[in-house]
Amino acid sequence: MSAHEEAAKKDKMVNLIPISILTAVLALYPASLRADTFLINPDMRKAQLAVPDANMVSQMLLSFTAPGAEMQILLTQYNETEEKMIVKPVPAEKTYVPDESEKETPQIFDPLAPVNKIMFHVNDKLYFWVLKPVAQGYSFVVPELVRIGFGNAYDNLRSPARIANNLLQLRLKRSGNEFIRFLFNSVVGVGGLGDASKGLLGIEKQEADFGQTLGSYGLGHGLYLVLPIFGPSSVRDGVGLAGDTFMNPMIYVSYFYLNFWEGAALYTHEKVNDTSFRIGDYEAFKQAAIDPYVSMRDAFVQYRLKKVEEARH
Amino acid sequence: MKNHLVFVALILCQIVPCPALAGVPLDTVKGNVDKVLDVLRDPSLKAESAKKIKKDKIMAIADKMFDFTELSKRTLAQHWNKLNAAQQKEFVDLYTSLLSDTYADKILQYTDEKIVFGKEVQLTEKTVEVQSTVMRKNGDVPIYYRVIQEDGSWRIYDVVIEGVSLINNYRAQFREILANKPPESLLETLRKKVGKS
Repeated sequence: MSAHEEAAKKDKMVNLIPISILTAVLALYPASLRADTFLINPDMRKAQLAVPDANMVSQMLLSFTAPGAEMQILLTQYNETEEKMIVKPVPAEKTYVPDESEKETPQIFDPLAPVNKIMFHVNDKLYFWVLKPVAQGYSFVVPELVRIGFGNAYDNLRSPARIANNLLQLRLKRSGNEFIRFLFNSVVGVGGLGDASKGLLGIEKQEADFGQTLGSYGLGHGLYLVLPIFGPSSVRDGVGLAGDTFMNPMIYVSYFYLNFWEGAALYTHEKVNDTSFRIGDYEAFKQAAIDPYVSMRDAFVQYRLKKVEEARH
Repeated sequence: MKNHLVFVALILCQIVPCPALAGVPLDTVKGNVDKVLDVLRDPSLKAESAKKIKKDKIMAIADKMFDFTELSKRTLAQHWNKLNAAQQKEFVDLYTSLLSDTYADKILQYTDEKIVFGKEVQLTEKTVEVQSTVMRKNGDVPIYYRVIQEDGSWRIYDVVIEGVSLINNYRAQFREILANKPPESLLETLRKKVGKS
């Protein structure tokens, strides 16, 4: 190795020292900054406490109700803990520090809670006393393959509603795909008994519903409602459900060609067939919940919020 | 000139999450899920009497897979600081057994659903969301695992099923109890639920 090369190598080594120091500083910098501002600026935590985005209507509704008072309590609670922290720092793993990725679920306005709770119990009993035993007997008698076929056929009839709602949400590609899927499954899948589109065309179901469409336009839930049989819903999603029902050809078939009991039997069969695949889900949900009513209401809000967010993209 | 490039690369490495890390959270979760599936599919544990052994085996995996302290802390959020150290410890224990009792039963009902892992999404520097789908007979169920890096390993602190976050759902339920009662009454409710009163 020549003297020249050796000098260059030495030069490189010297250069590496400040670089590594800089790197170390940069690596530690974000962490130290966060910890400091956290103690100096307690407002940051308060700001994170504020009810996040949600939707305008439910936020407006929120301000009319009690949660305001609850918020006040939370704020004072925060102040107390902060004072304690400054005087005597608590070990890091013992304290909860809000994470920027954490989003508090927006709460839904539920002034009809007493009525909703009654309806919740009615649906609960309806499931355990009627729906579940019937669905169990049904799945014992009817082979799984046949039940899947029925499920597909009923679902195929909901396709027009999905096509329309994807269109209303300006998700044109999805709408087109669902349209192709509907035609293909109705013909090749024999009235939708088989999901041929998934296997042969690679086109999956493109979910969309009218409540979601209204939500994507910026409409909030309004009030929380527990509907008989259908379960958790809201004013917005109830309207959505009605809209989707009128886009399902089944309602016209039962209106024009069937008497009341035949129509009811058709809808009951749809429900029983669907339930036969879900036995155990509701039981597990109830077993896991501390307060099933609150748990279901929150799950509904989270689930619908995700659907609306998807539609906005 | 070359030195400058090294310098730029080093800075970039600090700002952008290191690409070398990508895949580790997903592999960790997938590895653990596969281990659970192996237990569930084990032909030697098919008998009804082997249910207890199966459950114990799954619990042992779950212990390494989940960060129950982080999960508890994030569930209670700002209320966590209200509990003293002993209460925090008891809460973690009770909450863990509530979750394992209810979800172990559900998992044991597993038959032959296919689980497909999708992408991973960086949430913060330390947290990542691993996305997966369970193919059920009547439709697909998206299940996202949120993991946090602690001492070099990735562990689950939240499970999001069809957009419903587990910890957010329990937070909503606990909020009503903690709004006007002391932490002790929350523990009492949990003790009753778990059957340790």
